[in-house]
Amino acid sequence: MTLPDRSTLSRREYARALVAVGGATALSACLDMSSDENGEENNVPSGTDDPDSLPARQHAWNEFATRDDDGNVEPPAHHVLLPLALTERATADGEPTADARETTESTLRTLERAYEWSTDGLLFTLGYTPSYFERFDEDLPEGVDLPEPAALTSREDPAFDEFDALLHLASNHPEVVLEVEEGLFGDQEEPERNGVVLESDLSAVFERVDENRRTGFVGAGLPAEHTEVSSVPDAVPEDAPFFMGFRSGFDRTQASEDRVTIDDGPFADGTTQHVSSMDIQLEVWFEQENHYQRVSKMFSPEHAAEELVGDVGEELGSDSGLTDERIEATTTDARQEGVVGHAQKAARGREDGDPPLLRRDFNTIDGDRPGLHFVSLQHEIADFVRVREAMTGADLDVASANNGILHYIFVNRRGNYLLPPRGFRALPAANPDA
Amino acid sequence: MQDITPTTDEMEIDRRTLIAQTGAATGVLALAGCLDGDDDEEDEDEDDPDAENGDENGADEDYGDGRPTIEVEDPPNAVYLPTHREAMRMLDPVEAGDMMLGPMLSYPHDFWTIAGSGEDAVERESPDDGRGVHMMFTLWDQQTGTVLPVDDGVQIRVYDGDEQVGSPVSPWSMISQEMGFHFGDNVTLPEDGTYTVEVTIPPLSVRTTGDLAGRLDERVSATFEFEYDDEFRHEVIGGVQYLDEEQWGDRDALEPMDHGDHGEHGDHDGHDDEDHDHEEEHDHNGDHDGHDEHDDHAHVPYSALPRIEEYGGTILATAGDESGVEGVPTAHDSLPRSDDAAILVALFEDGSADAERLSDDGDGDDGSSSAGQYLLVSPRTPYNRVPLADAALSVTVERDGDTIVGPDTALAETLDSEYGIHYGLVVDDAQIETGDSVTVTIDSPPQIARHQGYDTAFLEMPPIEFTVPEQ
Repeated sequence: MTLPDRSTLSRREYARALVAVGGATALSACLDMSSDENGEENNVPSGTDDPDSLPARQHAWNEFATRDDDGNVEPPAHHVLLPLALTERATADGEPTADARETTESTLRTLERAYEWSTDGLLFTLGYTPSYFERFDEDLPEGVDLPEPAALTSREDPAFDEFDALLHLASNHPEVVLEVEEGLFGDQEEPERNGVVLESDLSAVFERVDENRRTGFVGAGLPAEHTEVSSVPDAVPEDAPFFMGFRSGFDRTQASEDRVTIDDGPFADGTTQHVSSMDIQLEVWFEQENHYQRVSKMFSPEHAAEELVGDVGEELGSDSGLTDERIEATTTDARQEGVVGHAQKAARGREDGDPPLLRRDFNTIDGDRPGLHFVSLQHEIADFVRVREAMTGADLDVASANNGILHYIFVNRRGNYLLPPRGFRALPAANPDA
Repeated sequence: MQDITPTTDEMEIDRRTLIAQTGAATGVLALAGCLDGDDDEEDEDEDDPDAENGDENGADEDYGDGRPTIEVEDPPNAVYLPTHREAMRMLDPVEAGDMMLGPMLSYPHDFWTIAGSGEDAVERESPDDGRGVHMMFTLWDQQTGTVLPVDDGVQIRVYDGDEQVGSPVSPWSMISQEMGFHFGDNVTLPEDGTYTVEVTIPPLSVRTTGDLAGRLDERVSATFEFEYDDEFRHEVIGGVQYLDEEQWGDRDALEPMDHGDHGEHGDHDGHDDEDHDHEEEHDHNGDHDGHDEHDDHAHVPYSALPRIEEYGGTILATAGDESGVEGVPTAHDSLPRSDDAAILVALFEDGSADAERLSDDGDGDDGSSSAGQYLLVSPRTPYNRVPLADAALSVTVERDGDTIVGPDTALAETLDSEYGIHYGLVVDDAQIETGDSVTVTIDSPPQIARHQGYDTAFLEMPPIEFTVPEQ
């Protein structure tokens, strides 16, 4: 694998490119960069020897993240999605062995000892696909809605995540996500962090499905630093936290962690995760449409007419400015305005005014093209499907090009996962109570 | 226009020599600029990606980037003549399921995108990089020949061998005077070479009737290849044909490019003379017709809607409004206009074959599809009868102060195998009668990108009142 050329990139661009490449060489380059800068290795806070001090929910991230001035959670900056397939020796009669479970759990505990459970340390989730659970005689318990992924619009023809599991690693430090991956799966000497050697036999349990490894980033300014990637136009605003130029993840447009948590049965404190990966067409978005058109399509025509958004969404505070009236106006806007907003449409999928999805998506330059890995948590996958249908807006009498941002997104993959509670995160049976 | 003669596996249409054309001097400048500019630019770009190649060389002033001048001073708020006819390379049509796809390539050029109806909702796209193509294609149904003038989310992906070039693109649905309704966008290409284009077309979601009902409901795809090289650039930039400068901005439209034949018309000048003679008023059929029969030359159909006399129902009369046209329209240019869109309204009586066909979208719950009258509203461009799709229209029918239909009942955008794209209403709980007033309101104008000459029309469209005439 070729490393990116540092001389042509800013620090953050370089870090991002290293995470995208992955591997021991990228890790060592990343550590060099950190020590160059600080005279020593970046201080990453260390973890805990007491697993009971950690939350029961794998997806309990919010209280371990910082918040911005408007109170919105600031998600970790660097992300890696590692697709995993069970090895033959990790199973007996098709089901995971006790040894494999033990190895998995002890590996995850090693990570928790090495890194603080926070955006400044390491946050991670390990989720399992419907394909994984098929190996068991029992079904998933009632109350866990985990269908096979499916195409959700007539214009998409996605591939599906049919491997067994997905490890989502996230940290504000690029070297952390790299060294964890390297520690778990690398051939080189195990990295050491905060006195903990990241040794692991996890590669005896899982193989990485390399062609589906995904990476990405989020944070003000990060997208604008990728204008050297072809297809990322110079016009991405400098402050924009996401490629499409606007803030997202407003506190009041996000479901709470409680809202998305399964509340009873053996997987209580778990949740479901949908991961879709898509290309985003940014050149047309930034170069052929003006700000007014972009605001109309991202939020609503009224947001554009009344200038509610600001350059990158800074005027919006902690919500996306979607009143009930603006959400209800979606159908009328389609006909009367000839355009509807993405946020306005998707908000029609709310239940009793509450957003059902907790989005943890991030942008990417995987494949040297701008894209989005849309990671969302919800109580059940049906919540996601409902919101996506509302967002697709096939019911709306509006031209496809003016139907929110549909014109700009190209879904390539979809996958559904169960994120079990921490207690069952290591190769759970389909029904641990049975 | 010369005949379309297939060469090896590519055809050219509208390839005109520069000599003996009006505006040749300008054209030659453009060509010279192209040839000079190309080599220089490539070199400059290697060293300095910001090399001046467009920003300073505004397309209206300088021909350094090789693209033709397009500025028309103070164009009217109406359809108008642009500065030039485009040249393009036309590739062999390819099959996409039940559809055909006819690819056409030109140089990257300006067009206007629309998201709404006000001034802010319109944006001019000016490519800042001359490297690449304006990629276009027309889609039509093989069985009926109907051009599909609706955007349901077509996608294109460009490949250089196995490598995908750039991000996927959803091309705009677009109208141009010469090409009618088509899909297109400017696509940047990194270098000369052979490119493969994959087009995917989702199922048609617009209401369909006649021989289209229940069809074209699968996602299909097609692939074509093209060469991007000096020869191509020479052809599409060198082939540009300028109009007389004093015609620029005149209220008229270029004739469809697969229409007619320059041998027959004389040449371009002949057309000009015709325009001068009939500046505001076309006294022949009132439109650019009479050439449709030549479609077999072009292989790619032009999206013209049927002529007024081809509609079987009752053509509604205009109510003597400010459009200055009164009575029952009999020719295309006597149709009333709303922001220069010609609006044809036809009423089909209950029980007529047309009404039955148009009322049955194959979606009827029990097949009994109890038809009634059918009201058809067909907005189209003046001169060329290009359908104006992706608008929202509604209708109010009144009689002696009573509201018979409406107020403002939404019409359904419908694609019929015979009457093409229109906005229709099955009138099954009322009866529209002679003397009724029918007001057509344009809730939002056609949300379709436009080539030059259509960019200032069909935007702020006032309602039009019609009356049902004596049969």
